[in-house]
Amino acid sequence: MSTEAKQAAKPPAYGAGAPDKDAFTGRNGVPLYTRNGNQNDYRTYEVYQRERVKEATDKIRPIQLISPEFIKNPYPVLEILRENYPFYRDWLGNSFWVTRYDDVTSIFTDDANFETRPKRWFYGIEDLGRDLGEAVPLLTAQATRIDANVERIAREIVGGFKDNGGTDLAIEFAARLPLELLACVLDLPKDDFPKFVDRYWRMQRGAMWEPKSRQAGLGAIQELVEYFRPMLAARRANPGDDLVSAVTMLDPDGGPATAEDLVVTLLEQDHETLHGALANMWFQLLTHQDQLDLVKRERRMVKFAYLETLRHSAPVLTANRFARHEVERFGRLIPIGALLHCSAAAANRDPRQYKDPDRFIVGRKDLCQREPRGQYRADGLPAGVALGLGKPSKHPAVPEDRPRSLYAITRDTATTASNVLLDMAPDIRLKPGATPALRSLRLGEMHTCWNLPVVF
Amino acid sequence: MNTEPFASVFARAIGADAGEAVEKAADGDFQDIFPLMPVGQRVDMGTAPDGTPLIDPRIFFSAEFRRNPWPYYRLMRDHHPVYFNQLNNTYYVTRYDDMTECYFDDIGFNTIPKGSSNGVLGNVTHELSGVEHRRRRNLFGQHLVGKALENRVPAIERLAQEMIDDWSHVDAPWCITNGNVRTIELGQAFADAFPVRVVCDVLGFPKEARGNFVYWYNSIMSGLGASETHKQGMEARQHLEDYVESIVEERRARPTFLYDNAGRNIGKDIISKLCESQVDGDYLSTEEITALIALVVAGGGETTRGTLMNMWYSLLQKPDQAEAALADEDMWDAVFHETLRHSNPIGGQPRHATFDVQIRGTTVPAGSLIEMVNFSGSHDERIFHDADNFNIFRPDLYTGKLLRSGYRKEGKCSHMAFGVGPHMCPGAWISHQEAVIGSKILSRTMKNPRINRDRMPKDIDGVSLAPIGINKTRELWLDYDLA
Repeated sequence: MSTEAKQAAKPPAYGAGAPDKDAFTGRNGVPLYTRNGNQNDYRTYEVYQRERVKEATDKIRPIQLISPEFIKNPYPVLEILRENYPFYRDWLGNSFWVTRYDDVTSIFTDDANFETRPKRWFYGIEDLGRDLGEAVPLLTAQATRIDANVERIAREIVGGFKDNGGTDLAIEFAARLPLELLACVLDLPKDDFPKFVDRYWRMQRGAMWEPKSRQAGLGAIQELVEYFRPMLAARRANPGDDLVSAVTMLDPDGGPATAEDLVVTLLEQDHETLHGALANMWFQLLTHQDQLDLVKRERRMVKFAYLETLRHSAPVLTANRFARHEVERFGRLIPIGALLHCSAAAANRDPRQYKDPDRFIVGRKDLCQREPRGQYRADGLPAGVALGLGKPSKHPAVPEDRPRSLYAITRDTATTASNVLLDMAPDIRLKPGATPALRSLRLGEMHTCWNLPVVF
Repeated sequence: MNTEPFASVFARAIGADAGEAVEKAADGDFQDIFPLMPVGQRVDMGTAPDGTPLIDPRIFFSAEFRRNPWPYYRLMRDHHPVYFNQLNNTYYVTRYDDMTECYFDDIGFNTIPKGSSNGVLGNVTHELSGVEHRRRRNLFGQHLVGKALENRVPAIERLAQEMIDDWSHVDAPWCITNGNVRTIELGQAFADAFPVRVVCDVLGFPKEARGNFVYWYNSIMSGLGASETHKQGMEARQHLEDYVESIVEERRARPTFLYDNAGRNIGKDIISKLCESQVDGDYLSTEEITALIALVVAGGGETTRGTLMNMWYSLLQKPDQAEAALADEDMWDAVFHETLRHSNPIGGQPRHATFDVQIRGTTVPAGSLIEMVNFSGSHDERIFHDADNFNIFRPDLYTGKLLRSGYRKEGKCSHMAFGVGPHMCPGAWISHQEAVIGSKILSRTMKNPRINRDRMPKDIDGVSLAPIGINKTRELWLDYDLA
């Protein structure tokens, strides 16, 4: 190992390149493996402090965290963790669970010590392309087209089912609206929509532990790249105000943007929050008649219904963070590379922050009612943790040089669409006899309502 | 213009049935996703477009895997030699050559931080690395090898003989005499208690501690999994620590000694030795001594018990091999090693990547947990011909003196049950003595031993005996002739 390598201060952030490489030839000449890192990180002493009897974690079995019950309703188990083992070592899943509000937000805002690994990493395709999602022209194109079209699209969608006397709101409204919006942002030909939906969802669902979905997702990514390649060339010659055109006009480091970059950018975007928030919000309103009446009476309450939904029934339950290096937190030494499950679902129902946290209360007084800046609190109140929206924006609420934050765009989109629904179907109610419920389709996926039959 | 309704487009896109299997799956068994297959066959978990068979990580939680793991390990070795299990956040290394490589590189693949013992064992030696590990390991390891071990052989023989002699005048459900035939359950009659007694004796604990010993041992073992029994394990660990503390205080003042069968003083016992040992100029703390002892307690019991049970269960299902072993006591070494190769009681050893490392094309980030699957390494057909078959006559398995410095000798390879390299099981030599001496004495006592099939659990066909899989034989009913 070279001297410079020994002097290299810290391993780089994930994917930031290699300070040095050591190649090893096996003693049998068989496996050749390469090391990539800093010899100084080697240590000989123990990291885990021995727990004493009072620290026994006998109120939970680790298998409960992957059980079918947990996939349907994670809240009871998360409560056990939050109230007993706020920093729980999941022996089976080789990870830690962080469940209290202050702890979860402290991890999310600590980029120096904890990193996110992109969906590309789980796919094993880090080299496919660049994530351009932070480029301002892209954000602008996205915001402009969403703001210009959301009301029209919502009207078209609701108009499509309003006269049928009823519909499945979870699919026809909550699932459909974000996809129609995305197609609009990308300015896709109408005929391509079904095919795009198919590929987009396969791509998003594949970044998970399930091997068949992953294969399907890898296929979808290839198909999307092939689909966007000619479109990118065409828009480069003849640009519009859509996201694809914006991508062609970018000049990122490492050469002009490619179809791969566009697909990677789409992959790394949140695909769950708007969908899940709409479905969960309407699920909660339709199953809480008093809250629905309140929202109907005072339309300004729609926004608060949305905010309360993200707190009470977060669609994205958990975000993963990996320790960049050894760091002491919560009374423990967290080793390098450790996986932390930061549970928004548990944090959002932390009784230390919210009174009566398991109740859905539109306009509750202890929830931050506006977009917080740079931290998870404003006006002395905690905001709900919504993982798909990223960290609270540090830019002004109405910035001059860039579009509004994802927090604001998503909130306004959900509010506008819900207002359209209330305008066009004011007597909307749950189909008699229906018993909708929230659940994830699979471990680690969006927790939302997949069937919400309504009548008008 | 495409007019397909959105609902059907969306249902296809998310694969509407994909989530159902999860919901139906029974807690921790997953039998409706992974039905129990005939031994040697496996559930089809799908195929990638390039033809590579896929692995659903839930298989590792399934009942099917526990009883019939070998086809799945083969799948991993052949197609996913470094497999990332996202549900467990763990990488698995499954080929013999790859894991031996990693075992010897204790800088690149360190043993910390592991926390696998979950606080129940304490900060045990095997979770240290490098020089810290070497110093502590040698402190107690030296008592379990070479001359020190030879000195203990007569005591091991005596303990085994005592237990077997007890059968003649015992009245227990595990020992039934019917005319000339006696039926015993080997576990309760011998294997459960024998290793614990040996460990108790080796550590120099007084005989009165034996009862406590079983309590410590059982509680600590069941507490390792960090579930409902976690607290019980921690309490037992605390109780053990309190007990050791009192003994240590005593022996620091008045060391006790070991004596051979002729009554000659052959040196201080382990605890007395540990009391006067220093590391880095510090005397070992009581906590450190307890951690060493807890490791001997936990490591020296269940493993040897499982080995004894698996040895007899596997051997007696192969009549020709049983005949050879019962006719020639020297064959027991081969039975011991072949059992440990074929169905060893310890599945694997965890390591952590010290650096970002690339093995067989898979990039493993620094800090990741990498499980060296000893089970799989011992069944690697690149090393052992017809590896899934139990055969004490196999020519490719090294059965000589245990090797610490290597794993290949005389053109043969050793099994992976003890691991290799700096962390090779320090109890390997004594467990070998226990299992072989115990089996020899058992074979002298039991004439014409055979499995009582009526009392044994059956496989899914209802006829053949249940496979061992990655479990250990829980009970083993044997018939033998008294004269």
